[in-house]
Amino acid sequence: MEQPPPELVVERARRLWVIPLFVPLSLLGGLFPSFSLTANLYVLFLGSVLMMAGLSSRTVRRPAPDTLGGGIAWWLLPLLVFAAVELSSFLMGSTPEHPTLSILLDPLLEGYLLRSLSYFGWLTVFWGLVRR
Amino acid sequence: MTRFLAIFGFILATAIAVVVGYLATRPGSRIPRLGDIAAFVMRYDVGGLPVGRLALLGFWFWCGWHFLAR
Repeated sequence: MEQPPPELVVERARRLWVIPLFVPLSLLGGLFPSFSLTANLYVLFLGSVLMMAGLSSRTVRRPAPDTLGGGIAWWLLPLLVFAAVELSSFLMGSTPEHPTLSILLDPLLEGYLLRSLSYFGWLTVFWGLVRR
Repeated sequence: MTRFLAIFGFILATAIAVVVGYLATRPGSRIPRLGDIAAFVMRYDVGGLPVGRLALLGFWFWCGWHFLAR
């Protein structure tokens, strides 16, 4: 099997070293229920730190492509389906009978495991954006 | 019925996104990866202000707050 060049391995290791830190942070975040002051403060704290890292010029970023090409139009397909469902549910009042994504996810996010996993996903994607 | 349609719609949108995301990872694909789209948008500056970067980071910040805190 072909091995990636050493500089790519180092770059990847640099990019991923922080991911294990998100595990305890997510397990802790899962303890704070939605609509609580602690959850609000916790998300605001983590988000602010990552936001500052993302806007800092000291963070090493991966190079961005110069162009995206015509294939980007394929991404409109899931976006349009999502927007149509979300918008129609929202205009119909965002009720249990016409649920938006928030209404559907709120009961699921009350469980500790899914809540912690969601924190982990949120932090990992946030870090991915910071490095872009 | 409408609840079922909404759930089906969200699952359909997710499934399409997964398929498009998979197709984007294939060698020589014309479809850009989601990360490349994000990086492209984040390069957008207006008068030195990183508007694209602020918008995407701010949007993701809001998503976390909306689903996990509020």
